[in-house]
Amino acid sequence: MRIDVYTPILLSLLLAAVSPMVGRRVAPALAARVLAVSAVLTAAATTWSLLLLAVTLIGQAPPVVADARADGHPLPEPVPGTIAVAATLALLLVVVRVHRAIRAEFGTRRALRTLCAGHPPDTELVVAASPVPQAFAIPGSGGAPGRILVTSALLGALEPAERRVLLAHERAHLTHRHASLAAAVALATAADPFLAPVRTTVTFLMERWADEQAADAVGDRSTTARALARAALTTRRRSPSCALNFTDHAVTRRIAALQSGPPPHLWPLAASTLALGTLPALGAADATGDLLRLLEHVLT
Amino acid sequence: MAGTGPRGRMERRSAGELESEVLATLWATEQALTPAEIQAEIGGGLAYNTVHTILKRLYDKGLVLRDVDGRRGAYRPSKNAAELTAEAMHEALDRGPDPIATLQQFVSGLSPEEERALRGFLDGYPHSDGAGA
Repeated sequence: MRIDVYTPILLSLLLAAVSPMVGRRVAPALAARVLAVSAVLTAAATTWSLLLLAVTLIGQAPPVVADARADGHPLPEPVPGTIAVAATLALLLVVVRVHRAIRAEFGTRRALRTLCAGHPPDTELVVAASPVPQAFAIPGSGGAPGRILVTSALLGALEPAERRVLLAHERAHLTHRHASLAAAVALATAADPFLAPVRTTVTFLMERWADEQAADAVGDRSTTARALARAALTTRRRSPSCALNFTDHAVTRRIAALQSGPPPHLWPLAASTLALGTLPALGAADATGDLLRLLEHVLT
Repeated sequence: MAGTGPRGRMERRSAGELESEVLATLWATEQALTPAEIQAEIGGGLAYNTVHTILKRLYDKGLVLRDVDGRRGAYRPSKNAAELTAEAMHEALDRGPDPIATLQQFVSGLSPEEERALRGFLDGYPHSDGAGA
């Protein structure tokens, strides 16, 4: 077994390293899609590589070794035994993490459905009579359309034009299925923890994407920037201690982006990122061929 | 942008979106509003008849109450479902980071310096100037 089997792991580190730069320079809608697809491909390839490494243990199992000796086959040593054992343990960890991520996803969806109870199904806006300023999109499920939840406190804090921005922003999350994109990247990160920076970037990009859509819907970037500022200050006033936990400057960066023009698409950079996401899959496919040849050799 | 104006954009919005906007307007104020007051608050060339139609639909769904506070023709949002939703939301938020904290929320937190900067940014605009500068 050649170096190919290790390439997905190395490439996931590379993807993680370039993702913030891609996020800063490419238009958010394009960058988020490209990074999400790359992350999913890379995570699948990494997991597959771990599986290949773990399978080489079969080649070292005593009955197989005894068989091979009896047949007079020289037994190749494809992968050091310690690496194969480590890969098996890593694979178990992946299974546990992915299982946990799937459960968390279903838990969230369930909790969100209970929030809509008592509201007529054909109304987009679900208001919560709460003093906590809060807003989020509730994705549709099983044919039911998506909903927008906003608390009365946040609605009361915004100007009419800013409320329109808020609704358009949340609507963009629903229209562009950001919940599914977020879930895909969450699963990829669960399978391959090296991809955590990609997830952070995609999460931020989906907010930027929705901001751009809202600015487009309202027809005014500065009103959109003001809506974000007002909402952030309202949230901060309400729970200053909790807000201190976040220092990612996300809102400030989003407002700054709205104060300049819409970002360019930069297709070449996007295409390179996608290529980077495809490489691990090619490496894994090649390594699969190696393993099949090896097993054929051992088992016949 | 101001020239091509809010009017053209207003007409593009679907009935469902306008319904959300009228409901949001009613929730944003403390007192009951008449259709004319809602029309003025939303602005941007929304026809009086449209506001009236949307209010009737919201009333039929039980989302708003009519003739409240002794004012004929004034509307106020009905609270029942919204209070249940608030309870469920607080419960879900109290349960810890999952499930709602992982959602895409409209805004995340601020550091003290960012707070100052944003205040400065908003001070550049009077609080009730409506559509963009």
